Amino acid sequence: MGENPISIHVLGICSALAITTKIDTAVVMTIAVVAVLSISNVVISFLRNNIPNKVRIIIQMSVIASLVIIADQVLKAYMYDMSKLLGVFLGLIITNCIVLGRAEAYAMQNSPSKALLDGMGNGLGYGSILIAVAFFRELFGFGSIYGAQVITNQIYLGGYENNGLMILSPGAFFILGLIVWAHRAYTGTSDKH
Amino acid sequence: MRSDTYTIVFTTIVTVVLGLGLSVTADSLRERQSINEELDIKKNILSVLGFSLSSEWENDKIQSLYEQNINELIVDKTGSILGPIESSNSDKYTIYQSRENDKVTGYAIPIAGKGLWGTMYGYFAIEPDAETVKGITFYRHKETPGLGAEVDKEWFQSNFVGKKLIDTNGSLVSVEVVKGYVSSTDPKAMHKVDGISGATITGKGLTTFLKNDLQKYEPYLSKVRKLNQIESL
Repeated sequence: MGENPISIHVLGICSALAITTKIDTAVVMTIAVVAVLSISNVVISFLRNNIPNKVRIIIQMSVIASLVIIADQVLKAYMYDMSKLLGVFLGLIITNCIVLGRAEAYAMQNSPSKALLDGMGNGLGYGSILIAVAFFRELFGFGSIYGAQVITNQIYLGGYENNGLMILSPGAFFILGLIVWAHRAYTGTSDKH
Repeated sequence: MRSDTYTIVFTTIVTVVLGLGLSVTADSLRERQSINEELDIKKNILSVLGFSLSSEWENDKIQSLYEQNINELIVDKTGSILGPIESSNSDKYTIYQSRENDKVTGYAIPIAGKGLWGTMYGYFAIEPDAETVKGITFYRHKETPGLGAEVDKEWFQSNFVGKKLIDTNGSLVSVEVVKGYVSSTDPKAMHKVDGISGATITGKGLTTFLKNDLQKYEPYLSKVRKLNQIESL
């Protein structure tokens, strides 16, 4: 809890803004990140004693990039509509600092089983924030939760309107900021460590 | 510190293994992907022509709906319809004609051109009168989510419906995406739609390639208009 990649380390913000307009895209993104992060951690942990130090970042990047491309291809084959929605952001998992960060900081020093848990933990931590942000954006932006309309027509007739700001990126910034604040206040984390 | 040879060998092995893994994955999934893409194109053509599709539909159902109702015509730059044999020359354009009970219900043409980040691909549908817009849809583009990618949204696409492609003299003017809102007092409002705020370049691109693509089909469409006139006399 104290090491959440988004709210504590403030990593992976780009995709957290882009794909959190609806919960379903956030869920698929979470699954993709957990898969890529766990597998890349395990692979790199297996190779950790053999990777030449000089080229270790390049090797890590190649492993991560390959996994992301495979995830993208699988999504295109089995969930075509979803892959259209995620578009370029699935490919951008490669540049998500969380993945490379965990490979470099954790998988290079620890055993494969520990690296797997670390990957899953970080992926889920990232995903939980995505889904939390998406929950608020979808609720206030579209009036629905996971695609099901919760704000009924009667409320709309009473003068309620969907908040367009929530659908745009600034809406994600506000929510993300609030979540980071709440989480840090709760765990007592500050940048002065 | 390890030797350079070790580094090179290690890197080579990793690269080859990863490359192999990638090609195997890409190759084994290619067939499924191309089926998805084709189906997606057919879905787009059907929906731009006003067929309502349900997302729960099986692929076969979309396939059969497409085969029953859509007629693919190939026209050349003079507007004549080509048979399958003649269609080997270069200036040929495909037009999708939808029919219900032997009556033409609309035409769809493929449109493509530059947006802000890349080429946008879609379909543009015209009513049987060959001058009123029936709909527009995009199936592939790289526009910014929330800005240019709004071209996918209902509010933007529905603004096109009912707009006119030709002026009172019968010449092609196409439909223009303006910056901001179309003023209701504008005499040319029937040829204009509201733009997307924050996506001016996407809108300009769309205006340009829509007109270009319509020009290719204009010889055929004007023939349709003439035929309609003769029929209505």
